[in-house]
Amino acid sequence: MNIIVAMKQVPDLQQVRIRNREPVIEGVPYTLGIIDKNALEAGIQLKEATGSNLIVVSAGNEEVEETIKEALAAGADEAYLVLDDKLDGMESSLTASLLAATIKKIEEVGLVIFGEGSGDNYSGQVGSRVAEILDLPQVGYVSKIELDGTTAKITRSLEDCEELLEVQLPMVVTVLGDINEPRIPSVSQILKAGRKPKEILELDDLDIEIPKDKKISTLSNLAPETDRKRVAVKSVSDLITALQAEGFVGR
Amino acid sequence: MVEETVEIFDAIIVGAGLAGLAAAYTLAAEGLEVLVLERGDYPGAKNVTGGRIYLNPVREMFPELWKKAPLERYIAHEEVCIMDKERSINVRYDGMELGMEPYQSYSVLRGKFDKWFAKQAERKGAMIVAKSRVDDVIMENGQVVGVIAGGEELRANVVIACDGVLSFTAEKAGLRKGAQAKNFAVGFKEIIELPRQVIEDRFNLEGDEGLARLYMGDVTKGKFGGGFLYTNKESISLGIVVGIKDLMEEEPRIEAPQLLDDFKQRPEVARLLKGGETVEYSAHVIPEGGYKVMDKLYGDGILVAGDAAGFSMNIGVTVRGMEYAMASGYFAAQAVIQAKEKNDFTRAGLATYETLLKNSFVLKDFINFKESLEVLEYPPLFKHYPELAGNIMKDLYEVPAGPKARLYPTIKKYISMGEMWAMVQVGRRMMKI
Amino acid sequence: MSNVMGLKAKLGLDVFKEDKEFHIRIKAGKEKDIRLKNTVLVCPAGLYSENDNGEIIIGVDGCLECGTCLLVCGPEVLEWHYPSGGAGVQFRFG
Repeated sequence: MNIIVAMKQVPDLQQVRIRNREPVIEGVPYTLGIIDKNALEAGIQLKEATGSNLIVVSAGNEEVEETIKEALAAGADEAYLVLDDKLDGMESSLTASLLAATIKKIEEVGLVIFGEGSGDNYSGQVGSRVAEILDLPQVGYVSKIELDGTTAKITRSLEDCEELLEVQLPMVVTVLGDINEPRIPSVSQILKAGRKPKEILELDDLDIEIPKDKKISTLSNLAPETDRKRVAVKSVSDLITALQAEGFVGR
Repeated sequence: MVEETVEIFDAIIVGAGLAGLAAAYTLAAEGLEVLVLERGDYPGAKNVTGGRIYLNPVREMFPELWKKAPLERYIAHEEVCIMDKERSINVRYDGMELGMEPYQSYSVLRGKFDKWFAKQAERKGAMIVAKSRVDDVIMENGQVVGVIAGGEELRANVVIACDGVLSFTAEKAGLRKGAQAKNFAVGFKEIIELPRQVIEDRFNLEGDEGLARLYMGDVTKGKFGGGFLYTNKESISLGIVVGIKDLMEEEPRIEAPQLLDDFKQRPEVARLLKGGETVEYSAHVIPEGGYKVMDKLYGDGILVAGDAAGFSMNIGVTVRGMEYAMASGYFAAQAVIQAKEKNDFTRAGLATYETLLKNSFVLKDFINFKESLEVLEYPPLFKHYPELAGNIMKDLYEVPAGPKARLYPTIKKYISMGEMWAMVQVGRRMMKI
Repeated sequence: MSNVMGLKAKLGLDVFKEDKEFHIRIKAGKEKDIRLKNTVLVCPAGLYSENDNGEIIIGVDGCLECGTCLLVCGPEVLEWHYPSGGAGVQFRFG
């Protein structure tokens, strides 16, 4: 059986700085989405428990080939990548079509794991959309996965309760960030990652065209405006007085 | 659990700074199996420079490298600013040769440059693994045979310690004596962004021309050291380098960050920064002890290069380190290549490293300038003379309400016989460098 | 924008990645060591301060990993190692 983990390349958010309230993305290194790393770890643990083959799938610009090494190092056996620089900033619907078409090329798919949302825009749609395209059952907010032959026991964490489900494979899950603690690959695993098989797909291979017009356009993406009062105080009592005047203390 | 791996690299290089990358680039180009371990998120993430690299000494070692290197501006204008408390004297040197290709020096930002240099080394075939801290060296029969990183043993014929000024790798291999604060300076700087055009207008620059300005005197409150300003393409590197010992012991006792804030607030500096936005604050220790305090440069199965070996030098108007780092990395690689031919990675087999360094500008410079720290670490240079120069200028330029004093007596007032004698002594000190 | 910003704000411009443990610790019994007192002056990030008991304390958040404090104090006073791989300050400009 093949376990699939879908991962998205995102700019390292900690490296993004704000200039004139807009994020500066230029020169920011890429990484994999933070919850995607939990999805990967879940996949690795299942692979280790069941002896399955773990395939990571991703779509994005040419840099993905480099970024995905991290997943191969951590324990994925191979990668299926859709690479095209035109894919930068694509909408969730397109991502889902590309990933679904990629997964269709893989045989004996048992489980497809997504993170609950991507590390950059967190639309939280792609897992569900892929399940729909592939006509597979999907379960979200997953905090535990156990595989048992042709079925999976899935725990969903909801606000005040946990739900335990049994689902027929193949299926799609979207996992929560606290499902596990992703492992850090060792140096030799990182070195071996470069030699693991990678299937590079072009848009033509998938018969998918990038729609000319985006259905969703970003009008602005601004950091919240911070209004600092810049009050200088000389002593603790002055500070308390100033804070009281603003109504922050002593109400 | 310590995992055993089978692969034995020709060389494991600790640290993807300029020394490490230069060594990796050179070794990989010769087809050797090289692994570089870098603890930062990416090469360059932990690396700091004041701001300028001199290319002449290393140009030929990396002939393909410089054409596309992401350097900032070529330094076409050199300035020195002597600062007293309320006045300063600025000297600008515009030499035609500074504006002619190949340019002597460039301002540089290591975050950009090292990342790019690492890519070039990878293209040559080097393997670079970031986010990986080396915790120890593996010793067998007194010989270094690898390192431990992330609990994993990684083996190589040679380890090249390029892990910077504190070099725990060289220390663990027993090559380092205890470091003393007096042989080190600390540098700290801000990167201040300004639009390209503003920088060019403000500093009187054409196109990609850049300027380097060193400040001495009140900038460090008379402590051993100075300030610096380098123009980058769209930012300014502004900072201070100060001897750690002076910072601890000399009056006035002032916290290091305050020095930089005071520097920025000086009117002659503040106006250069106006409208700029600080985007990064960094700090780094600089080895300044020179040849006299240099530790062993190699041992059985190990070589030390760059700051780790103490290859950085302050001779007043120029503070250099990056060329020595690149060159020592290059020579370390040459020594490893030769050791591999002989299949001898012991101390004896690696001894060519020191010979190569001694025949090159690296150790020649360090031997020639071995007295420079002691000569320059002379408090009047940083306090008394800047004050004196400032006062003379003040009186020379002053037009009082009453009659102006004759020029000669004005100068003589400051430069007495005793003062002249002292200056002769300073001159004699300087003759050593 | 004013030229002088607080040190904390200045450090806030840098990228820091979290580590699992503190990479610098003052060794037990050395809190009042004379060597340690110097760190208050020399640390470019201002991480060291003296508390009311005359002990020096450190908050490692914002450490620029320059090494000045180690050179001033030595390993008898400070337990000092670099943060784990990928952790600590990550310079974008350098």
